Amino acid sequence: MEGIFSNLWLGFTVAAAPFNLLMCLIGVLLGTLIGVLPGVGPVATIAMLLPITFNLSPIAALIMLAGIYYGAQYGGSTTAILVNLPGESSSVVTCLDGYQMARQGRAGPALATAALASFFAGCVATLIVAMFAPPLAEVALKFGPAEYFSLMVLGLVAAVVLAHGSLLKAIAMVILGLLLGLIGTDVNSGVLRFAFGISELADGIGFVTVAMGMFGLAEIIANLEHKETREVFTKKVSHLWPTREDWKRLWQPTLRGTFLGSALGILPGGGALLASFGAYTLEKKVSRNAHEFGKGAIEGVAAPESANNAGAQTSFIPLLTLGIPSNAVMALMIGAMMIQGIAPGPQVMTERPQLFWGMIASMWIGNLMLVVLNLPLIGMWIKLLTVPYRILYPSILVFMSIGVFSLSNQPFDCFLMALFGLLGYICVKLECEPAPMILGFILGPLMEENLRRAMLLSRGNPMTFIEKPISAGFIIVSVILLVIIALPALRKKREEAFQEG
Amino acid sequence: MLRGLIAGAVLAFAAGAQAQAWPAKPIRLIAPYAAGGPIDISARLLAPKLQEALGQPVIVENRPGAGGNLGVELAAKSAPDGHTLAIGAIATHAINPWLFDKLPYDPLKDFRHVALMVQVPNVLVVNVELPVKSVKELIAHARAHPGKLDFASGSTGSTGHLAGEMFKLMTGTFMVHIPYKGAAPAAADLMAGRVHLIFDNLASALPNVKAGRVRALAVTTKARSAFLPELPTLDESGLKGFDMTTWWGVMMPAKTPEAIVQRLNTEIFRALESSDVKERLRAMGSEVPAVRTPEAFTAFVAAELKTYGELVRRSGAKPD
Repeated sequence: MEGIFSNLWLGFTVAAAPFNLLMCLIGVLLGTLIGVLPGVGPVATIAMLLPITFNLSPIAALIMLAGIYYGAQYGGSTTAILVNLPGESSSVVTCLDGYQMARQGRAGPALATAALASFFAGCVATLIVAMFAPPLAEVALKFGPAEYFSLMVLGLVAAVVLAHGSLLKAIAMVILGLLLGLIGTDVNSGVLRFAFGISELADGIGFVTVAMGMFGLAEIIANLEHKETREVFTKKVSHLWPTREDWKRLWQPTLRGTFLGSALGILPGGGALLASFGAYTLEKKVSRNAHEFGKGAIEGVAAPESANNAGAQTSFIPLLTLGIPSNAVMALMIGAMMIQGIAPGPQVMTERPQLFWGMIASMWIGNLMLVVLNLPLIGMWIKLLTVPYRILYPSILVFMSIGVFSLSNQPFDCFLMALFGLLGYICVKLECEPAPMILGFILGPLMEENLRRAMLLSRGNPMTFIEKPISAGFIIVSVILLVIIALPALRKKREEAFQEG
Repeated sequence: MLRGLIAGAVLAFAAGAQAQAWPAKPIRLIAPYAAGGPIDISARLLAPKLQEALGQPVIVENRPGAGGNLGVELAAKSAPDGHTLAIGAIATHAINPWLFDKLPYDPLKDFRHVALMVQVPNVLVVNVELPVKSVKELIAHARAHPGKLDFASGSTGSTGHLAGEMFKLMTGTFMVHIPYKGAAPAAADLMAGRVHLIFDNLASALPNVKAGRVRALAVTTKARSAFLPELPTLDESGLKGFDMTTWWGVMMPAKTPEAIVQRLNTEIFRALESSDVKERLRAMGSEVPAVRTPEAFTAFVAAELKTYGELVRRSGAKPD
């Protein structure tokens, strides 16, 4: 234990050096900014900034780049809550209840909840990284194709719970998402599937493209129906801060979200993505206010926001201890380290303790900066809601297009986003929720990939999913969940619990 | 004859005039892969050096997609005025032509191959639990347990996959190929012992080899690597003639004026020899290439294209 504290102390002396503090501030500022801008994500930003980091010291470079990443998690929730636009995959679920809260004039408490829950989660997760990074990396290695597949199955079954409309529609949307996820090159054979000869589809459809279209664009189109009678959420604003009642409701979900997020964030490949979805689903299952979910429940903001921030923090564990990137941003961090002549891997911790612990300490400092930055900004963000539609929406559209274009510099992606906007609008009309579709879209390809890999490794023996204890655990929980959903008696109860109006 | 001479003179004059005006505007350097990967990084290392030398901004543009094909296709179809450069790699110029049915470019005819930049060896690494300490023991183990060994790769048709298929062909063994989406998850499963071996690129394998988490058996290049001089080559381990490197370099549209190509070749090698770029590329496992002129690079690409055509055909890596 003493070792941890002396290490953390070393880290703080490194991270608190004036120049490193400045870099941390620049990082989190930039991160917040790009998080708020729809579509412009940390991947594009970090890629553009990579050359600038050549001339920085390794630690200053990594502190700044990491700041951009977790800063974006804070900023992403702002647009999700205010305009129903998830900038990052992790803020998709925040849209569900955050936006509803904003519509009820409770944008202030929603934003404050997001910031505070993120801060709490960030601090706890940083401590987890500091104390348990090496053993947790070993846990991450325990997850092979079979375990991932079973985890994804559980995720998909749980996805149905995400919807608050009809069960049938939720299942249909999950399947639509799965189908869309099939587009692209088949990992096993290299064959192109459903690409219709369009080479831009060879790598599949980007998540941001789908999310921007289904959520943001669809929302804009749907709002055009209501002429200028915009339900301006500001008119009813009574207070910016969560009430005493809110506090009572949000602390438990924040705790659960933090731990679920920390756990799932460690898993390379989709783990961090699952965190916010998982936390939301869990809350909906355990909360006494389950009937309010989807209509502006504060738990529905606190849980996923704490989960995604915790996950963002712990996703550094596989990178720092094994040199394995768990997502596209971490892959960029590997690039940044290689530019500096550091080979990411297990030796970083022992050979460059200042770098390792300095970065961890900077995460805590960065989280503190973020909460200090974000809380006073809430008043300003609320003002943004008074901007008339005719100005707000065109500017959002421009930013969305820039963001989607910046993903791979293909105009094609912008057209695709427009197409998904149309689909999203149709779904709004049909009262089909986009969230289960998005989850299906994310999980589908991962699930297929891991299923086929697990089957290849077991030489076609499906028992592999039951013989492995972790995998078996997930399968059992999935079956139980399925039974609960499918049992007619219980199902009636579910409909009562989740049916709107 | 005379007409030919005049035409030649006019062309040379035109080229000269163009070369003098070049570069007239910012130059774009297309990296056909996602930001942050080794190809992108090397492009971003090169860009500021070229910018300094040429006096015009050099902008790296990531155009990922379709295994790199989208980016190089864009370069092939750009105006050959010296303002579009692209990184062409072993995938786009030696392997993909055999994997994809309708490739929208010709890897030889549509490009001037300006300068080879990076050559990285692959390393054969095995899980530490596998009871083999040398290539010879691995072959014996594979023969004793046919179809029991798994080798992972970053994707179907990657150099790691083809190196594995080549290994199988040359040793007459059978192992199951397990493709992944990227080299990182493949490396993780190797460490965890779910797959037995992998032909990984040297730079990413090195830290875990040194930490003793995986065991390196041999490099795939003909010569030993300066980074692990004690590690034998596959060639000297009994697989005579085994020689594979992952490479990439700068290419331009086919009709780019000769003077520009030569000038860029000079500037690129000046950049590669500069101490900071050299040091950073060494960290990625690459030395300054021995193939130095544009002509030699073209010959190199042609030879690679031929080698991999044969390998893709014999290994059955092409989807049917």
